[in-house]
Amino acid sequence: MTSIKMLSRIAAALLIASLFAVPGFAARGQADFTRFVALGDSYGAGVSNASINERHQAFSWPAILARQANAPDFVQPLVSFPGLGPELQLLNVLSFPPVIQPAAGSGQPLLLNFPRPYNNLSVPGAAVQDMTRITGASPNVGPSAAQFILRGLGTPVQQALAQQPTFVAVWIGGNDLLGAVLSGTPDALTPTDSFRTAYNAMLDQLVAGAPGAGMIVGNLPTNPNALPLLNTVPPFIVDPATRQPVLGPDGQPIFFIYESGPGLVAQLPPGSVVLLPAAARLASGVGIPPTLRNVPPFNLLPNVGTPLSGAEVLTPDELAAIGARAAEYNGVIQQAAQQRDIPVADIKGLFDRFATPGGMRVGPFTFSPAYITGGLFSFDGFHLTDIGYMFFANEYIRTINREFDTAIPVASLAQFFQDNGAFFGQLIFTPEFEMSREAADSILRYATQPQTRGRVRAAR
Amino acid sequence: MRFTSRLLLLITVTVAATGAAFGSGFMIPEQGAKASSMAGAFAATADDASAMFFNVAGIAQLRQAQMTGGADFITFDNQFTGDPNDEFSAGTTGVYKRHLFVVPNGYAVLPIGENLTFGVGLFSAFGLRTNWDDPWIGRFSSRDANLKTVSLQPSLAWRSSNERVMLGAGLEYRRLKITLDSNIPLSGSGVNPFTGRIVDIANAHLTSEWGAALGFTAGGLFQVSENIRIGVSYRAPMEVGLDGMADFTQISTGNPQLDALVASQLPPDQPISVDFPFPGIATIGISCTALQNWTFGLDVNQTTWSEFDTLFVDFETTPAASLVRPQNWKDTITYRLGANHRVSETWDVRFGLLLDENPQRVESVTPLLPDADRTGVTFGVGYRRGPWTLDAGLMYLALADRSTEGRSAELNGTYETNATLWFTNFGMKF
Repeated sequence: MTSIKMLSRIAAALLIASLFAVPGFAARGQADFTRFVALGDSYGAGVSNASINERHQAFSWPAILARQANAPDFVQPLVSFPGLGPELQLLNVLSFPPVIQPAAGSGQPLLLNFPRPYNNLSVPGAAVQDMTRITGASPNVGPSAAQFILRGLGTPVQQALAQQPTFVAVWIGGNDLLGAVLSGTPDALTPTDSFRTAYNAMLDQLVAGAPGAGMIVGNLPTNPNALPLLNTVPPFIVDPATRQPVLGPDGQPIFFIYESGPGLVAQLPPGSVVLLPAAARLASGVGIPPTLRNVPPFNLLPNVGTPLSGAEVLTPDELAAIGARAAEYNGVIQQAAQQRDIPVADIKGLFDRFATPGGMRVGPFTFSPAYITGGLFSFDGFHLTDIGYMFFANEYIRTINREFDTAIPVASLAQFFQDNGAFFGQLIFTPEFEMSREAADSILRYATQPQTRGRVRAAR
Repeated sequence: MRFTSRLLLLITVTVAATGAAFGSGFMIPEQGAKASSMAGAFAATADDASAMFFNVAGIAQLRQAQMTGGADFITFDNQFTGDPNDEFSAGTTGVYKRHLFVVPNGYAVLPIGENLTFGVGLFSAFGLRTNWDDPWIGRFSSRDANLKTVSLQPSLAWRSSNERVMLGAGLEYRRLKITLDSNIPLSGSGVNPFTGRIVDIANAHLTSEWGAALGFTAGGLFQVSENIRIGVSYRAPMEVGLDGMADFTQISTGNPQLDALVASQLPPDQPISVDFPFPGIATIGISCTALQNWTFGLDVNQTTWSEFDTLFVDFETTPAASLVRPQNWKDTITYRLGANHRVSETWDVRFGLLLDENPQRVESVTPLLPDADRTGVTFGVGYRRGPWTLDAGLMYLALADRSTEGRSAELNGTYETNATLWFTNFGMKF
């Protein structure tokens, strides 16, 4: 056989093979963002500094994803500043502890009469079961934010399907864990069976109602220690002047006391955490063992000997129980998604990266879960900053790119430079950078605060 | 007398015009319009006064006092595009500020007797300017880097009476001045906690005094047959010690509390020092004149860029703040192919092609100096009339797109650069 003939046979074989080649991407649907909806909780809603308001809604992870993917007409239930839950603001960073207070006044929903369901149906406070349960019609069912977000038009899943979505992004389940964290007891965790039932019900309805849509879900953080809510206040006495542990006669730190059971008081075991909101009570002497009542300077504090409540602390056992439950939920999410060919964004991995020893390096910056200075978590200690939500959105973008063979650019820190006159007027965006009008409008409204010619350019 | 006054005039003009520019690594080997129009394939030809740079032995064949002065005029187009997968740089672009870089040269030779030629050369064979236009995402690495050199090289060459062997050597006195400008972000996350936005807190401006060092060059030129010549040339590596100052200018964040914190932690203005290395260059070239009225040359240069292992600027008051930038450059090889065609008694035309390897490993590609492999094509003409010569040419230098492949610790993305160099030299014989 001549080499020409051989070559032509090989070519023919290759051609035939290519006709029968199976696409390498098993995810259901396509990454078509023509009609993009997002389902979620306060993270999806863009809650930051204990507030939902348009300054941060513009940087909710669904909003960032929509911008990066050029999703048209991505509408969110915007709320005017200072938001529902007035935004926490940092007033003094030089004092210890820093002064953080809510802004005065209250915000209003701006798009209550918007004529169709919102694209972002994330409801602050929602748990998995709420996705197929709450409608916002009754003030007594579900989180209060449901009233202005869902407006009685149906459950989040129903409102998503009503838009005939081409792509659905979901991150839900955080509140099934967070209740336990906030209340200091694993008793508040959603049982895994209930979680499984609710998660599968949600996906069943979505797949049945939008069989052609691309979808993505995300798993949950399993390391509660990544939250400033838990990693800021040490479980032992710290001298506010030196910020070093006060040592007992045995040379060891003096651990706080807490109510270990009904009528029982014990010292916190090493590895415990004290929740951030307890910091103010600690300053009055709460948690300090009664043996120090007459020892200066503790004798000046009124509440020495009063134990922290069980709700203000998490012991190592409680932390382990929450972490273990989170891991079970992640198993549920993985299985439920896999059965339906839905990719899973690794938010657990993201939070693990947040907590990288030494910090998470991005360009010239090092982010960490440190309170106030770390750059990732807002002043409420568990919601993200705008930049934190960017990293969250990018985890979704990377997963979509991998599973749907798309090339959506990640959002970058270049969007988050303060214009303090260092660089003279314009921020750094390429002309291709586009966002939905609503997002642009909300950024523009934000931009009217400081002088930011650059943001106007950016939004054009 | 006339000669020295003209020479002095030439030198004065040349020094005044010295600017910074752009070459493989930070070399600018285009130091004479005729040689550059032949893509620098000149070590075995070396038949004008610019031989002092390309192969100092060549001036031995100049048996008439002469001088030439000229300059490169360099412009370039560039674009940095942020890596679409990088959470710092995605969606950003950057360009250099528009500059016309002028790199002067001047040479004068004076034959002594039948076999010796003395010469003085003035050139700027190294230089760099990367001046990024604001707003620039890479400003925490570098906003502006400016490296200027001027070299003065007295030279002496000898030829054998049969004109088959020429040897030469020169002493190079090289002066260097460096300016580095960058911004400083808030440390850690860079985020101003009052605004939630990343904020610049200061500008760092490092500028050195002129420093100097002595080096040398040596070369040989051998007529191995009627039409074949071989040239070898060597320019020694050098290290120039510089003293200077670091000036820190605080930029207000807009928040008095934060500004107070920054002010308490910003390093003070202070003296700095640098030991700055330059590579050695070894060249072997061959020329062929077998085809009537044509000279073809092929040169190969090896440049020992591995001398540049770290950029270390020592801060004398606060050593912990010293600037340390690992470079770990590699030695490089450059291939140069050139031709000179004598069209008539008065006109020459010249062509050339060069392939220039870049010395940087991907990790050391930064806004300070984003280098890439280069391909250059050249064209030029020469005109002679009586004692006067005019050489002019141009080089189009295409740099390969250089991606940091996500491996830069400073800034990830792709640098695209193209340069155009215009050369001109005006010479006269006495």
